[in-house]
Amino acid sequence: MSAIASADPAAQETFLREERKRYFTFMNLAFLMTALTGIELVLIYLPFPSQTIIYFTLIFLSLIKFVGVIFWFMHLLWDKAFLTIVFLFGMVIASGTIAALLLLFSEGYVDPAMGIYEAD
Amino acid sequence: MSTATSTAPLGAEKADENRSLIGLRRPDHTTGLADWLTTVDHKKIAIMYAIFSLAFLVIGGIEALIIRAQLAVAENQLITAEVYNQLFTMHGTTMVFLAVMPLSAAFFNYLVPLQIGARDVAFPRLNSFSLWTFVAGAIILNISWLFQAANLLGWFNPIDGRSDIVPAVGWFGYAPYTDTAYSGIGTDFWILGLQVLGIGSLAAAFNFIVTIFNMRAPGMLMMRLPVFTWMTLITSFLIIFAFPPLTVALGELMFDRYFGTSFFRVEGGGQPILWQHLFWIFGHPEVYILILPAMGIISEILPVFSRKPLFGYSLIIFSGAVIGFLGFAVWSHHMFTTGLGTVGTAAFSLLTMAIAVPTGVKIFNWIGTLWGGKIRFDVPMIYGLGFIWMFMMGGFSGIMHSSAPADSQQHDTYFVVAHFHYVLIGGSILALLAGLYFWFPKVTGRMWQGKLGHWSAIVIVIGLNWTFFPMHYLGMAGMPRRTHTYLEGTGWQALNFAVTIGAFILAVGILMFLIDMLRTYRKGVPAGNDPWNARTLEWSIPSPPPVHNFDRTPVVKARDAFWLHKFGTVDQKIGSVDPGAHGVHMPSKSWMPLLTSSGFLVFGIAMAMKSAGVPLMGYLAITGLSITLIGIYLWALEGPGGYHLHPEGEHRPH
Amino acid sequence: MSAATEVTESQEHVPTGMHPKKLMMWLFLASDCMFFGTLISTHLIYRKIYPDVGPDPRSIFDIELTTGSSFILLMSSLFMALAVSAIHKGELKSFRRNTVLVMIFGLLFLSGQVYEFYDFAVNKDFKLTTGTFGSSFYLMTGTHGVHVALGILWLGSLFAYSYTKHFKAETHAMDVEVAGLYWHFVDIVWIVIFTAVYLLEYVSF
Repeated sequence: MSAIASADPAAQETFLREERKRYFTFMNLAFLMTALTGIELVLIYLPFPSQTIIYFTLIFLSLIKFVGVIFWFMHLLWDKAFLTIVFLFGMVIASGTIAALLLLFSEGYVDPAMGIYEAD
Repeated sequence: MSTATSTAPLGAEKADENRSLIGLRRPDHTTGLADWLTTVDHKKIAIMYAIFSLAFLVIGGIEALIIRAQLAVAENQLITAEVYNQLFTMHGTTMVFLAVMPLSAAFFNYLVPLQIGARDVAFPRLNSFSLWTFVAGAIILNISWLFQAANLLGWFNPIDGRSDIVPAVGWFGYAPYTDTAYSGIGTDFWILGLQVLGIGSLAAAFNFIVTIFNMRAPGMLMMRLPVFTWMTLITSFLIIFAFPPLTVALGELMFDRYFGTSFFRVEGGGQPILWQHLFWIFGHPEVYILILPAMGIISEILPVFSRKPLFGYSLIIFSGAVIGFLGFAVWSHHMFTTGLGTVGTAAFSLLTMAIAVPTGVKIFNWIGTLWGGKIRFDVPMIYGLGFIWMFMMGGFSGIMHSSAPADSQQHDTYFVVAHFHYVLIGGSILALLAGLYFWFPKVTGRMWQGKLGHWSAIVIVIGLNWTFFPMHYLGMAGMPRRTHTYLEGTGWQALNFAVTIGAFILAVGILMFLIDMLRTYRKGVPAGNDPWNARTLEWSIPSPPPVHNFDRTPVVKARDAFWLHKFGTVDQKIGSVDPGAHGVHMPSKSWMPLLTSSGFLVFGIAMAMKSAGVPLMGYLAITGLSITLIGIYLWALEGPGGYHLHPEGEHRPH
Repeated sequence: MSAATEVTESQEHVPTGMHPKKLMMWLFLASDCMFFGTLISTHLIYRKIYPDVGPDPRSIFDIELTTGSSFILLMSSLFMALAVSAIHKGELKSFRRNTVLVMIFGLLFLSGQVYEFYDFAVNKDFKLTTGTFGSSFYLMTGTHGVHVALGILWLGSLFAYSYTKHFKAETHAMDVEVAGLYWHFVDIVWIVIFTAVYLLEYVSF
C-alpha cells in the first residue's frame, strides 16, 4: 500500500489524509466495542423475562464486534474485495460445519441410566 | 543449458553477493546433493516429490501384496493378525498421504508455474519447506517399521502395553482403538506423522493459491488458465479448509494419549463418534483432493490426443468447483450406520447424490471432447481412456453408496473396498500415470521407444479389474473389510484366490511402467519441445525447461495459448515482455527450509519415543521444536537474496 | 510464517493487485477459521450433550475478569491498527510505541489467562482432566493463548528488527500489516469464544 502510495507525491498526500481520518475511525470503533463489551456483561445479570432475547442479543453484539474488527481494523473495507470473499468463504464453511455438527449431536446420545458419566 | 550466470550483485551496498544478510554463505553455486537439498527450483522440487511418491507407491504396493497373499486361501496363517492390522493401516496411510497426494503435488509444482507463464512459485523457499516437511512426516510414519525390527531383535522395548509399534488403527484411526488402552506407540507415530504431513500440505496449498492468483503472465486471465491449473487451485482451497479439522482432531487425540484428557475416551465421557465426524470432515474433502488433480490431468491430455479443444471448458471448471464445495457437506455418508437420525441421514444422502451431477457433467464433457476428434492412441491416451472407463465404474458403485439403506448393507464390506479402489487406482493412479507419460518428455527431454508403455497400461487396467471387480461380489456375499482371515465354507475362497492373482497382475503392470520410465530416462530418444502437438504454454519452451523457465515472460492472447500460437491468426500469437537489461531475477537457494523441517522430524520421533517410555524424550521433543523455531528466524533474517540470469540465444538482451 | 517468506517477482505484473504476503495471510486466516471452528464445536457439542455433567460453569467462571480480558484484547487491537497506520506513514517512533503497547496488552491478557487457569485448577478443582468440559475448555482457550503468545513473539521480533540497519519503513510495512492481520484475527477469535463459551452459559432458558 505504502509502496504504491509513495511512488507519487500527490497520491502520498491523499494516502496520509486518509490515514489521519482513519485514526479517529479506529478510536471511535474501539470506544464502541468497549461499550458493547460492557453491555454484554450487564445483559447477563438482567432479570429479563425472556432469556431468548438475551441469547440472540448477545450473539448479535458479538457479531457487530466481529464485523467491526475485520472490516475496519483489518482494512477489509478499503482492500480488494477478493480478500473479503476468501475470508468469508472460510467463515461460511466453518459456520456451516459447526451448525451441522451441533444439530447432529443431541442430548439423546447419552443414556442417563448408564451412570458411566457420573464419575465427575 | 543455454544460460549464463550473471555476476552482478542485487544490492549495491553488499560487498559479497554470495552472503546472506546474516553473513552466511548462500548455497547458490552448490552442485550434487547440496544442490538438491537447498534447491528452490519448482522443477527440481517436483522431481523429488515424484521420486519419493513413486517409492512410497511401491512400498504401499508391497504391503498390499502381502495382504493379498495372506487372504489368498481360507484360514491362512502367513502373517499374524497384528501384522495384518499394521499392513492395512500403513497401506492406506501410505497410498493416500505418501503416494497419491505427493504425486499430485509433483504435478502442481512442475506444471503450474509453466502453465501460467511464471518464473517460479510465489514463495520458493516455502515450497522447499513443504517438500522437506512431507519427507519428515513420511519418515516419522515409516520409521516405525525399523523400530519394530529393533524390537524383534531385542534392542528396543517400549513400556508395557505400548508394544504395538507400527500404526495398526486403520488409516482413519477410529476411536477408541487409538486410546492408550488399546494401541501402542504405533498410534503416536501415526498421529505425529499425519500432523507433520498436514503442515507440509497446508504450506504448499497456500503457496499455490497465491501463485495462481498473483503470478500469471500478462493476458493469462482466470478463464484462460489451463484446466489442470484450475483443478490445482480448487484442490488447494480444499486442502486449506479440510486439513485444519484433522489437525485439531489429531491434537485432541494427542492430548488424550499424552495428557489424560477425555475428548474421545469413553471413561471420561468422551464420544468416539466425535472422532468419526471430525475425521470425515477432513476425510471427504480429502477424497476430492485425491481425484481433482487427476481430473485436471485428463482434461489436459484428452484435447491433445483428440486434436480438439476441451468440450465445455467453463462447465468442467464450474463442476470442479461445485464438487469441491459440496465435498464439505457430505462427510456423514461415511457414517450412515452410526445412527445419525432420520433428518441427518436423508440430508447427507441427498447431498451425496447431488455430487454425482457435476461428476457426470465432467464425464460427458470428456466424451464430448473425444466425439469427432482425430484420436491418437499413444500411451497417455490409453491411460486416459482407461481412467474415464474405470472412474465411471467406481462412480457407479459410489452412487449406490449414497443411498443410505443400500449403504447399510454394503458398509464395511469388500464392496466398499472395490468402490474406492476403482476410484483411487482406476481414477487417481491411472490419471497420474497418464500424466507421467504425457509430461515425461518435457521433464527429461527424452521420448520412449517400443510398446512397453502401451502394454503397461493394458496390463494395469486388466489387473485392476481382475483384482477389484470380484470384490463387489465378495462384499455382497458379506465378507467384511479388515479381517485377518476367513473360514472354510464361507464360499469366499475362489473369488479371494482370483483377487490375489489379480493383485499380482496389477503389480506386474506397475513394474512394467517403472521399467519403461527408467529405460526411457536412460536410453530415450530426444523428444523435442512439443512432441504431442500440444496446447499449453509449457510446450513452447525447451525440454527439459531451463532453470528460469521462460526467456521472456509470455503475453497470452487466448485460451489454449500455444495451440493458437501455432495455428491461429497473427494477433493470437504469444507475445513477450522484454526482461530488460537486468535479466531474469532468480531466487537464492537456502538451507533454512530443510533446517526448519528437520525440527519436525526430531519432534515427531521424540514424542513417539516419549510415549514408549524412553527417558529424556520430552526434552528432545522441545529441542526439535527449537530447531524449527531457529530455522524460521534464520530464514527470516537471511533475506530472500537472489541473482540475475541473462538468457542467451535469440532473445538475449544487448 | 509469512514474515519468513519472500516475494521473488517484481510487483509490475501482479494481475490481482494484491500483495502476495497479504493474500497468503488472508488465506491462512480463512483456514484458521476451520481450525478454531473445530475446537469451538468440540466444546459446544460436549456442553450440549452433557449440560449437567461436571462443575457448573457459572460457579467457576469469573465473568468480570474475563470481560476485563476481552477489553484488554480489544484495546491491543486498537494499538495494532495504529501501529500499522504508523508504519504506512513512515512514522517509525509511533510504530514502535504502539507495538510496545500491543505487546504489553497482549501480555496482560496472557497473565489474566494464566491467573484464570491457576484459579480454576487450584481453587476450584477444575482441571484439564476434569471430564470433557475440562478437556475442551482448556484445549480451546489454551490454543488461543498460544496464538496470542506467538503473536507477541512475532511483534517483538519485528520491534527488535526495526532497530537494525536492514529495516526500512517502506519495505517492511507489509510485514507489519500481515502481523497485524494475524493479531486482529486472534482478537476476533476471542470475541467469538467470549460469547459462545462464557456469556451464553449465563443465559438460562
